Amino acid sequence: METAVRLEGVTKTYGATRAVSALSLNVPKGAIFGFIGPNGSGKTTTLRMILHILYPDAGSIEVLGSTSRRAANDRIGYLPEERGLYRKMTVRRVLAYYGGLKGMRLRDARAEADRWLERLGLAGWRDRKVETLSKGMQQKVQFIAAVLNRPDLLILDEPFSGLDPVNLEALREVILELKRRGATVIFSTHDMTKAEELSDTICMIFRGEKVLDGTLEEIQARYGADTVRVRLEGGPGALEGIAKGVRDLGRLQEVRFDGDPQELLRRLLERGRVEHFEVRRPSLHDIFLRIAGDGNGGGAAGAGA
Amino acid sequence: MSKVWRVAKNEYLNLVRSKAFLVSVFLMPVFSGGAIAVQTLLGDRVDLRDRRVAVVDGTFRLLEGLERAAKERDAAEGGEKPRFVLEDATGDEAALAQRVRAGDLFAYVLIQPDIIEGAPGAEVTYHTQNPTYDDLPRWIGNTINGEVRRIRFEEAGIDGAVVDRLSKAVPFKQYGVAEVTATGEVRKEKLNELQTFLTPMAAMFLLFMLVMMAAPILLNTVLEEKIQRIAEILVSSVSPFELFLGKLMGTVLVSWTLFLVYVGGGLFVAAHYGALSLVPFGLLGWFLFFQLLALLIFGSIFSAIGAACNEMRDAQSMMTPAMLIVMMPMFVWFVVLKSPDSPFAVAVSLFPPATPFLMLLRLAIPPGPAAWEVALACVLTAAFTLFCVWAAGKIFRIGILAQGQPPSFRRLAQWVFSR
Repeated sequence: METAVRLEGVTKTYGATRAVSALSLNVPKGAIFGFIGPNGSGKTTTLRMILHILYPDAGSIEVLGSTSRRAANDRIGYLPEERGLYRKMTVRRVLAYYGGLKGMRLRDARAEADRWLERLGLAGWRDRKVETLSKGMQQKVQFIAAVLNRPDLLILDEPFSGLDPVNLEALREVILELKRRGATVIFSTHDMTKAEELSDTICMIFRGEKVLDGTLEEIQARYGADTVRVRLEGGPGALEGIAKGVRDLGRLQEVRFDGDPQELLRRLLERGRVEHFEVRRPSLHDIFLRIAGDGNGGGAAGAGA
Repeated sequence: MSKVWRVAKNEYLNLVRSKAFLVSVFLMPVFSGGAIAVQTLLGDRVDLRDRRVAVVDGTFRLLEGLERAAKERDAAEGGEKPRFVLEDATGDEAALAQRVRAGDLFAYVLIQPDIIEGAPGAEVTYHTQNPTYDDLPRWIGNTINGEVRRIRFEEAGIDGAVVDRLSKAVPFKQYGVAEVTATGEVRKEKLNELQTFLTPMAAMFLLFMLVMMAAPILLNTVLEEKIQRIAEILVSSVSPFELFLGKLMGTVLVSWTLFLVYVGGGLFVAAHYGALSLVPFGLLGWFLFFQLLALLIFGSIFSAIGAACNEMRDAQSMMTPAMLIVMMPMFVWFVVLKSPDSPFAVAVSLFPPATPFLMLLRLAIPPGPAAWEVALACVLTAAFTLFCVWAAGKIFRIGILAQGQPPSFRRLAQWVFSR
């Protein structure tokens, strides 16, 4: 499998704080790569190093087959976590400027900007100053700036934060379209549901260290135990002695059960009427809570390549 | 390099298209011209109320001459200046002081009895509540001295007319150094005050204005890009040093545009009034050269401060030492103008941050500094400029993405020498 981004033993410290520690990972070419972890886990620092905005203290980074900044720079699109647009410039001028900095000819940048503005419903705003746009509109403009140069690698830092459902759907559509076109997309998020929905491959870092990576199926298989959600006529007390690790979700109870779920169902039926029985694979959210709950990222042993 | 140019172009267009810039371009000459016009106008609107002065003449011999001189003066001024009305007064100083406070008198003068004899300790004293108005005390001092001198000559038996003739001032004119033409003719030109004082002063202040109208804007734009997180987008496309260079270039272009507007306007006016011969065209090249160096030096400093800080308040406190360096030529320019070839003038004009302004000032004063001084100034300032750009570039590279507390000067030094 071809690799779009390769990190080998990358470490970055800020003073006494180690933001990223000996991080190695491969992002497959053409994949959507979800980079997950809690706030302050080192996601943004890693993305900035991939962009050569920051330089690692140790380790090597290869992006689109090159370790040099100049070689790949114009083939990358970037949406930072905190949006940055010139408030006093018109939408079209900002986009043309950002496109120009990505090596596009101004004429091409303007044409591409017009196309995207039309597509995302902002055509009527192209000659307005950025400061007159709503926050959601500005987010769209920022996203257009990231994809204007038709990047081979698109890096999105927390792209879904603050988006309303309509914009969220539009962004999801565009990401999938870029993938179909052959682009590699790396996005960071602490929204595990979004990561599950979109990612072909996922990497989780916690306190600067990689704690797991692989496809969702691989990760779920590695973190094995399925969970079962039940509602019993006799209430949560009916589970006593049958299952361990019961989580009371209110109307339902969730249990981790290592054996055959059918066996669990049989034993519950012996105790009374079962109103709800649902076998669930562990979600990223569950896995994340399990790892983060260990306190020291104890799942690191399960991390793949 | 094309990306540096794109940054420069964007910086330039953002600045010259802003309303604040357009307003300042037109308002600056309006304010400057307006200030001169207002002063001229107000200068003409003199307070013409009489200046009533009580004179306590202890000699009993001077007041008459003073009154005669006051009448002659008032007649000569033709009502364009306030009349000096003298009043014979007694020696009750407390009462006179009270009348001054009450506004009945403008001043009072006490002339001691043995002033004509020149007795030790004898003096004339002038008392007023308006010490800033100096026409009256100066006139009184000169007139009393003239009267006393006349009386002393008379008492010595010397005719006053003879004294006037013998003490007539000789004509004194100031010329430049004579030049011998190819035909052997010796030419000497009368010293042109415009070229001697006004041109150097105007050139230096124009340079200062053009630099200070452009360079500090860099602090604001860099800080804005940092605060609004635009910098992160930019450095994902261009290196921080390219961004820094582009912004510097944009500022230089803005300042050169101002040069075109102001100097072009000045030349147009000079041509209109047939005064082009007074324009020192040879100085324009030096002006542009020193403008470039000054912009690179101060633009670098302001950019570095903008990149290092996270809010305007921090930037302003860091600006204080920078502004002291910027303002240094303003503290010493008059000394340099008065004595342009003194060791002090040579030394301060070789101090790189001040060189662009002070060496330009010296170049504008005929016959100008020695060639070696100009050459040394250029080399030192060019080297200092390169150092500033290099050091500011290093600070910019780290500072533009740094968050949190603004760095100390020690920390900035560490950034400069970091790998």
